Amino acid sequence: MEARRTWIVVIPIVSVLLLSGCWDRTEVNDLAILTAGGLDLTEDRKLELSVKQYLISPSSSEQSGSFSSDTGGGSGKSVLRSSRGVSMADAESHLQQVLSRKVFWGQDEVFVFGQRLAKEGLAEPMEFLTRHPIPRERANVFVSQSPAKEVLELDPPIERSVSQALRKMAENETGLNITMKELAEMMAGRSRSAVIPWVEIKPGDGKQAAFAHINGTAVLKNGKMIGRMNDAETRGIMWLRNEVKKATVTVSPGKGKGLVSLQLLRSRTELIPHIEGSKWSLTVRIETRDDIIENTSEFDLSLPDHMNELERELEDDIKRRIQMALRRAQKEMKSDIFNFADAFYRKYPREWNRNKGRWDDLYSNLEINVQAKVKVVRPGLTNKSIFKPEQR
Amino acid sequence: MVIENGKISAPQIGKMIYLAVTPTAILSTPAITYQFAKQDLWISPMWAFSGVIAIWIALSIHRLFPGENLVQAGERILGRKLGKVFGLVILLYYLYLGGVIVREYGEFVVGAFLVQTPLLVVSGSMVLVCAIVVRSGVEIIARFADVFIPVFAMLFLLLIIPLLPDLHILKMLPIMGEGIGPSLSGSVVLQAWFSEFLTVSFLIPFANRAEKVKKSMAITLLAVIVTLVSSNLVTLLLLGELTGNYNYPFLIVARYINLADFFTHLESLFMAIWVLGAFVKICVFFYVTAMGAAQWMNLREYQPIVFPVGFLLLLMSVWVAPNLQELTHALSTSIIFSALTVLVCIPAALLGLAWIRRQWGKKNLQD
Repeated sequence: MEARRTWIVVIPIVSVLLLSGCWDRTEVNDLAILTAGGLDLTEDRKLELSVKQYLISPSSSEQSGSFSSDTGGGSGKSVLRSSRGVSMADAESHLQQVLSRKVFWGQDEVFVFGQRLAKEGLAEPMEFLTRHPIPRERANVFVSQSPAKEVLELDPPIERSVSQALRKMAENETGLNITMKELAEMMAGRSRSAVIPWVEIKPGDGKQAAFAHINGTAVLKNGKMIGRMNDAETRGIMWLRNEVKKATVTVSPGKGKGLVSLQLLRSRTELIPHIEGSKWSLTVRIETRDDIIENTSEFDLSLPDHMNELERELEDDIKRRIQMALRRAQKEMKSDIFNFADAFYRKYPREWNRNKGRWDDLYSNLEINVQAKVKVVRPGLTNKSIFKPEQR
Repeated sequence: MVIENGKISAPQIGKMIYLAVTPTAILSTPAITYQFAKQDLWISPMWAFSGVIAIWIALSIHRLFPGENLVQAGERILGRKLGKVFGLVILLYYLYLGGVIVREYGEFVVGAFLVQTPLLVVSGSMVLVCAIVVRSGVEIIARFADVFIPVFAMLFLLLIIPLLPDLHILKMLPIMGEGIGPSLSGSVVLQAWFSEFLTVSFLIPFANRAEKVKKSMAITLLAVIVTLVSSNLVTLLLLGELTGNYNYPFLIVARYINLADFFTHLESLFMAIWVLGAFVKICVFFYVTAMGAAQWMNLREYQPIVFPVGFLLLLMSVWVAPNLQELTHALSTSIIFSALTVLVCIPAALLGLAWIRRQWGKKNLQD
C-alpha cells in the first residue's frame, strides 16, 4: 500500500520531466529552408557560400489569407544570401549572421559549384557536405560557368525555384544527372575522375528572362576540374557510361541527300576488358533499339534491305559520337571518366592490384574497340514517305 | 529456487534472440566489415561460425543440466567457489555488452538526429523504459518481441524495396576476386555479434517446450544471416566504395530513398527500426544481467535489483568509451576477442569439462 502511494507521486514527477517536449524541437517558421547552395571562390581566395532560401509564408498570403497565391511563379518568394569564410564550415557558420532564421539544409537538393572553385578543387567542400549529417546524399551537383551566385540569383518563371528548375533539367537525362553520392563515389573511386553537369546562363533579351540550363559536362581529375566537354561529347560520355535514356540520332545516309532521325527506345552498354600479356585493351559493346521518327532521305523504309543499310549507317554514327568523347577524355584530358578502371578491376582483380599505380599511363595508351549494334524495331506510323512521290 | 515464473514459447525465444542480434549489427558492422571484405561484404555474414558454436554450447549445456542456465550449470560443474567466479565473469561481461549497446544506441540517435541533446538523456530514458519492462518479467519482453518482429520486418522491407532501381549490380563484382580471404576476415567483426547467440542459454529454462528451441534457433540464425546479407548487399550496391567511409552506411541508404519525388527523407523509418530493435536488444541483455545477478547472489526475486543494475548499465555505457571513434575501434578490435573468449571459448571449455566429468562418473559407477 505504502509502495503504491510512493509510485503515484513518483510517476507524475518523472513524467513531467520527460513529457515537457522534444529537446531538439524547432518550429518550421523558425527555419530558413534552403533549397539551393552555391559555392564560389572569391578574388581573395575565400570560399563564398550563397544560399537560396525558400519563404514558406510570404507576407502577401497573410493579407489575403488564402493559399491560392502559392501556385507557380517565383516572384519574391525566394531570397538569396551569401557569406564568406576560409572553409566550407566557416562560411556556413557565418551564414547564420545574415539570416534571421535558423539555417536548415534538409531540403537543399541542389549544389552549384562555381567554375573557379571547381578548378581549384572540390574535395574540401565535398568533405563538409558528406560529413555533416544534414546535407542530402541525393542532392544534385552542378558546375557553373559563371559564379554560382549568379545562377542562384535567377528566378525561373515556371518552377518554384531555380533549384527545382535545375533538378528537373538534370532528371530529364538529356545531360548527366549526378548526385552528391555519385560525385563522392567517383572522386573516391579507382579512376579518381569525375563528371559533373555544366550549367550556363542563357542571357535574357527583352521578352525572355535569363535562365540557367545544362550545356555539357565539367571533367574533374583528382578533385580538380581540368576541362569541359560540349554537348555532343557529353552524349558520347553518356553512351559509354550506360546512362543514355533518351536520344535522337540523326544521320545523313550515304545514299542521296536527306536525313533520317531515330528515337532511342533502349540501349545497353557493356565494357569488356582484356589483358593479354602486358597489353591492355577494352571492347565497348553497345546494343540499342530504336524507332524511326523522320525520314527525308531516299531510303524506302518498307524494304528490309534499306533498313539494314540504315542500321549500319546508324552504327557508324554512334561509333563516331563515342570516339569523339573518347579521344578528348583519353588523349587530351587523360582522365578515366567512364570508369574503365572498375571494369578492369572487376574482371582482373589480381592484375589490377599489381598495376593500379600506373593506371593513368595504361589508360592513355589503352586500345579501345567500339562495337555498336543498332536494331530499328518500328518505322513509325508511316512506311513509305508520304511526301516522296517516287516511293509511292 | 525459482526466480522467474514466466513461461515463453520456443518461437518467442527465437524472436527475442533475432532482435537481440540484428539491429546493432545492421547499423555498425557494414563499415567495419567493408574495410576487410571490400565488395565481398555481403558474403561475410554467411560465415557465422561462432553463432553455430554458441547455439550448440547453449543447447548442450541445457541437455546436460535441464532447466538450468549457463551460470547455474557452471556452479554445478566447477564447484561453488570457481562456479561463482565463472558466473561473475559472464554476468559482468553481459553488463559490459549491455553498456556498449546502450552507448551505440545513444551515439547514433545523438549523432545523426538529436544533435543538441545530451547523450545521457537519450540513453537514460531508454534504460528507464527497459528497466520497467525487465521488472515485469521475461513474458513481457517476449511479447514485445512478438509485436515488434512484424513491424521490424515491414520497415526493413520498406527501406530496401524503394531503393531497388538505384542499385548497381556491377558493384558486387568481382565476387571473391581475391579469394575467400577478404570475406572471411571481414566476418571476424560479425563473430562478436553471432556469439551473442549464447544468450539463448539464459532463456531456454523458461521455455514451455524446451525441445523445440533447437529448431527455432536454427531458423533464427538463418533469419539473422539473411537480414545481414540483404542489408549489406543493398549498402554495397548503392554506396560502392564509399561504404567504408560512412559511420552508419545503412542510414545513408535510408536517406537516399526517393520514390516518385514524394517518399523522400525516410531516415525517420530507419530511426523507428533502430529504436524498436535497440529497445528489445537492451531489454534482453538487461534482463539476463539482472536475473543472472539475482541468481548469483541467491536472492529470492530479481525485481529489487533491476533499477540498481539499470543504473550500472547507464554508467557502463559512459565508461565503455570516451567517444564514438574509440567505441568503433573497440568494436572492431577488443570486443571481438573478449566476446569470442567469454561467450564462446570459456563456455566451450566448461562444456568440455562437464563431459569429461560425466564420462568419469560413469566409469566410476561401472567400477
